[in-house]
Amino acid sequence: MSRKYRIVLAGNPNCGKTTIFNCLTGARQHVGNYPGVTVESKTGKFMLGEDEIEIIDIPGVYSLSSSSPEEGVAFEELTKPGIDLIMNVIDSSIPQRSLYLSTQLAELHIPMLIVFNMSDEAKKKGLNFNIQKLQSYFGCSIVQTVGSRGDGIDKLKNALAESLLHLEDHDVPKLTYGADVDDAIREIVEWIEPAMTDRVRHIPARFFAIKLLEKDSCVMRLPDFQNLDAIIDAQITHLYARHAITAETFMADCRYAMISGACRDAISFTQERRREISDKIDAVVTNQWVGLPLFFAIMYLMFWFTFTCAAPMTDGIEWLFGWIQSLIERFWSPDFQPVLRSLLIDGVIHGVGGVIVFLPNILFLFLAIAFLEDTGYMARAAFVMDGIMRKFDLQGKSFVPLVLGFGCNVPAIMATRSIESERDRRTTILVLPLMSCGARLPIYALLIPAFFAVKYQAFVMFLIYAIGVAFAMLAARLLKSTLFKGDGEVYLMELPPYRVPTAKSILLHMWDRGVMYLQKAGTIILGVSVLLFIANNYPEKKTFDVDYGAQIMAVAANTSLTPEEQADAFKHIERLRHAEAAEYTVSGRVGKFLEPAFRPIGFDWRVTTAAISALAAKEIFVSQLGILYAEDTESAGDGEDEQEPLRQQLRRAYTPLQGFCMMLFCLLSIPCLATLAIIRRELNSWKWMFFEAAGLFVLAYVTTFIVYQLGLLLKIGTNYLL
Amino acid sequence: MNDEKTPAAKSGASVRVAAAPAECTLAELPVGRSAVVIYMKPSLRGKKKFADVGIVPGTLLEMEAHAPFGGLLRIKVMESSLSIHRDDAANIIIRMQERP
Repeated sequence: MSRKYRIVLAGNPNCGKTTIFNCLTGARQHVGNYPGVTVESKTGKFMLGEDEIEIIDIPGVYSLSSSSPEEGVAFEELTKPGIDLIMNVIDSSIPQRSLYLSTQLAELHIPMLIVFNMSDEAKKKGLNFNIQKLQSYFGCSIVQTVGSRGDGIDKLKNALAESLLHLEDHDVPKLTYGADVDDAIREIVEWIEPAMTDRVRHIPARFFAIKLLEKDSCVMRLPDFQNLDAIIDAQITHLYARHAITAETFMADCRYAMISGACRDAISFTQERRREISDKIDAVVTNQWVGLPLFFAIMYLMFWFTFTCAAPMTDGIEWLFGWIQSLIERFWSPDFQPVLRSLLIDGVIHGVGGVIVFLPNILFLFLAIAFLEDTGYMARAAFVMDGIMRKFDLQGKSFVPLVLGFGCNVPAIMATRSIESERDRRTTILVLPLMSCGARLPIYALLIPAFFAVKYQAFVMFLIYAIGVAFAMLAARLLKSTLFKGDGEVYLMELPPYRVPTAKSILLHMWDRGVMYLQKAGTIILGVSVLLFIANNYPEKKTFDVDYGAQIMAVAANTSLTPEEQADAFKHIERLRHAEAAEYTVSGRVGKFLEPAFRPIGFDWRVTTAAISALAAKEIFVSQLGILYAEDTESAGDGEDEQEPLRQQLRRAYTPLQGFCMMLFCLLSIPCLATLAIIRRELNSWKWMFFEAAGLFVLAYVTTFIVYQLGLLLKIGTNYLL
Repeated sequence: MNDEKTPAAKSGASVRVAAAPAECTLAELPVGRSAVVIYMKPSLRGKKKFADVGIVPGTLLEMEAHAPFGGLLRIKVMESSLSIHRDDAANIIIRMQERP
């Protein structure tokens, strides 16, 4: 007989809920060692014997109230009817703080199972638990686990199966907060119980009584309790007069007192070796003077790692695609299905291959980010950067999403949910696309070596990223002083102890990201590349304005030319013919139509089409240039010459100034459609999304215009620096 | 968040070397020293938030570090490390513990 159960995973931020979730369901939800990695409730399923378990992973909270958006989500999820069991995960190395939430969950009188996670760390700290005592205290089973290693998961499953057998007759915890508080709770319960409607009847009145005592706004808003203010206020005044303490902190105080009582009985220290190594590292890392320089060094190292270590692999993939192309060319005669052959070589290999070449960079970038996330450094970086961020009216909490933005803007924008201040969150979302994401990296990786000598390459790359960051900061300051004016919220962030990341977790994250990149290359980029190939080649021009055939004949007949001069002249004529044909195509027409608008920023029609198609995905910029120039070589070389690499052709067609302007425009302009979609969702507004797109376009255009025109005027970058 | 500091926060930076009074604000607690929370000033924003993470009267805490450019403080409360802003810390009254 199989049954279905619904259980909710609840716990403090960064206590390892998602790790437990992954262990139970076999899912691969993202985890990291800083508070607020999970920002959305996630649902998974697993089988426990015959039974099907639906498990919901909710964002971590410190308390079951409503002082932040996450707490709101958790509160709503936990007070919904139909929950069979709450699995309360706690970081058992900080039992006092973690059990605070448990005391509130216990008041819901829903069957509960407490998971003492990170029990290896608790052991290292010398903490001993009297599990028996704690179990009877909270009226539920307790299982000790080490989520990161999967230890204790079998025991957890057994305990879960056992608890599910006793759902009907589970224990109810008998928590007491002191005689006078308990009296007050009883008094309020008597008043509110008759007032409760069916909507909230599945929750014990006692839970609401406690919430009303601490003036929780979520509960006070419920229509059921609207007319009871006088009764509750009377109790509150009575209690607070005796204890000389304010309403908001009164129950917190009671709970902590209760826990410390419980802890004295059931938790003991055998030795005082607390966070020693972690604290020693932090004495340096979060030091007032050393912290910041160290942060910049780590960022530099991250990018150095991304580019330098990936270089040999990038070359390897480039070689591989070249080899595949030469195979096709050798075994597929140009006379057989020429259009399909050309689509495969020019459209697919140059379009998609040109993007896949940069897979190693993406892998290394995400490897570096995952390492920073899993060790716990992200929270430190937010701490040391807070001062600088505040100069630009942002704050430390905005910082983690901004760094994640270097990887991909989409998850980074979602990560802003951990920012309590709505104004700061909106500002962070709007400036985030200026953080140069991994998809823009192929553009720089293609263009920089094409236009800049080796000794300038690292500097130009750094400059591009720095420009993005600088604009993000300035834009934030502008937004905060105009549209999002006002005071900030309370800042509170936990710094978790450093943890040695497991190789499995980091490599899995890198692997998932790599698969995503390849999937993108195989779907969006392949699709758009084929479309672009068609747009770049059709309609075909049959009759030309100039008789190129006659010109070629004339050159061939001209005996005064040397053979080299003749060959050059042929090539020149061929190029002109090709240019005329290209302008006749859809891309050519669109590009030519828009060219006057983009000419002032240094773009010709080809770059213009590339910049427009990059809206689908930033890498398409590289694909489109690859496709356009691949055709050039074919027709210009007539198969006699070796394929000229894309970079050489770009160098012939554009100046370094133009190359720089292309990168600048791609960096600042409208982000990809996926990012726009997530901005719309997170800000819940089409208006803001269009504002963002228009704003970024104007910013990109104006900046690139100024740079290009100044460059032309001062003759900077109009010739090659070697 | 504007970066103007409250008078209490400003004085917090300069008092660090002087002999600290028995009762002072959390913003004035020097790095490495411990203190017990006495009470929260009514002007403290988000009292409940601080209470939820264990900053309630009677809690023992320790100043671990000051962030660069002065904004954030890092304190150890109940075995965990929290970063909070100096402006908020200036509203939490503490009694400094003797040096061990």
